[in-house]
Amino acid sequence: MHSIENLGEMELDALKELGNIGVGKAATSLSQMLGKLVEMSVPKAMVVKIQDLHKVIDVEEMVAGVVTGLDDVENGQAGFLYITFPEPSSQRLAEILLGDSSDEEMVDSTLMEIGNILSSAFCDATAEMLEITLIPTPPSFGRDFAIAVIDAIIAQLAEKSDYVVVFETKLEVSEEELEILVMLIPNERFVNYVFQMLEMVE
Amino acid sequence: MGNEILVGVGEFRVAKGAVLKTVGLGSCIGIALYDPVIKVGSLAHVMLPQSSNGTKRSAKYADHAVEMMIEAMERLGGDRNRVIAKMAGGAQIFKHMTMDMLRIGDRNAEAIKSILKDYGIRIVSEDIGGSEGRTVYFFTSDGRMLVKYSRGGELWI
Repeated sequence: MHSIENLGEMELDALKELGNIGVGKAATSLSQMLGKLVEMSVPKAMVVKIQDLHKVIDVEEMVAGVVTGLDDVENGQAGFLYITFPEPSSQRLAEILLGDSSDEEMVDSTLMEIGNILSSAFCDATAEMLEITLIPTPPSFGRDFAIAVIDAIIAQLAEKSDYVVVFETKLEVSEEELEILVMLIPNERFVNYVFQMLEMVE
Repeated sequence: MGNEILVGVGEFRVAKGAVLKTVGLGSCIGIALYDPVIKVGSLAHVMLPQSSNGTKRSAKYADHAVEMMIEAMERLGGDRNRVIAKMAGGAQIFKHMTMDMLRIGDRNAEAIKSILKDYGIRIVSEDIGGSEGRTVYFFTSDGRMLVKYSRGGELWI
C-alpha cells in the first residue's frame, strides 16, 4: 500500500488531472442545470499536514457544505467530495433554481441535490479513468465554519495518517457572481488507484 | 487579545500568559488544562477519542493529548494535582447526515471525561454538543475560556 506521504510531484499531477476531468464533467452538469456558462478555476492539489489545514482552508468562512463519500463498490470507501457554497452563492443558486430563497429547508434540499449531481458526475468521470466503479453516497449537509463541517471526516482520515491530500477547484458562474468550491479528499485507497493508473501508463 | 497562539487541528500548545486559540471546532473538542497557582495553561484541539495500540503519540487523540499537556505543563513548573480542566466543542454539525461514522462529537466528549477522571482532573466548566461550530480562546493569565459560536453569540466558561 502506498501512503499519502509518498505522493510526489508526478502523482499529485496525476491526481490534479483526474480531479480536473471529474470536476469538468460536474461543471457541465451544473451548466446544463442552470442554463448558464460555468467556468472552472485552475485546480490545486496538495499534501497538507492536518495541523496546517487552517493555512489551506478558510476555516472561519461560513459555508453551506455538502459531503458525499466516494464508494468504491468492490473495496469500500475511497475518499470524500466536499462541496461548499459560500452564503451569498447558496442564496443566489436557490433564487435561480427555485425562484426565491425564503424557505431554508427548500434551499438546503436544493443545495444537497446540486451536491448530488456534481458528485455523481465527478464519480462517473474519475471512475472511468481509474477503471473502477465509484458511486457517491447520499449527501450529508451542514451550514457552519468551512472546517467545522468536515472535521469529522478529517478525524476519520487522521486515524490513518497525519496528512491529507486535497484537490480543489472553484466553479464560477461569472454573470451571477456565483462560486462553488469543490474539494476532493481522497483516502489511501484512492491514492493507490492513482499510483496504479500511473504504473499502467509506464 | 494580547499575545495569541494558534493551536492547529490535532495539536496542543502550552503557555504562560498568552492567549491560546483554536478555530472552527465542529465535532472536535478543545480541552484546556490549567494550573491556577503558577498560571500555566494548555489547550489541545482533539479529533479522536482514543489512540489504538502502537500508534505514534499525537495530540489528535484525546488520551495522548491529555498526557502530553500534563507533561508539558509540569516542565513549566505545573503540578498535576492542581490542574483543572475546561472543554468545549463536540457539536453535531450535519443537519442531514447519511454517514453514521461521522457522529463522532459525542464519542469524543465521553472519552475525554473518562480520561480526565482517570487522572483525577476536575472539569470546572464545559460547553459540549449542540449543532454549531465553535472558536475557543483560552486566557492562560487567568484561566478564563471564551467560546465564540459560528452563527454569532459567545459564552465565557
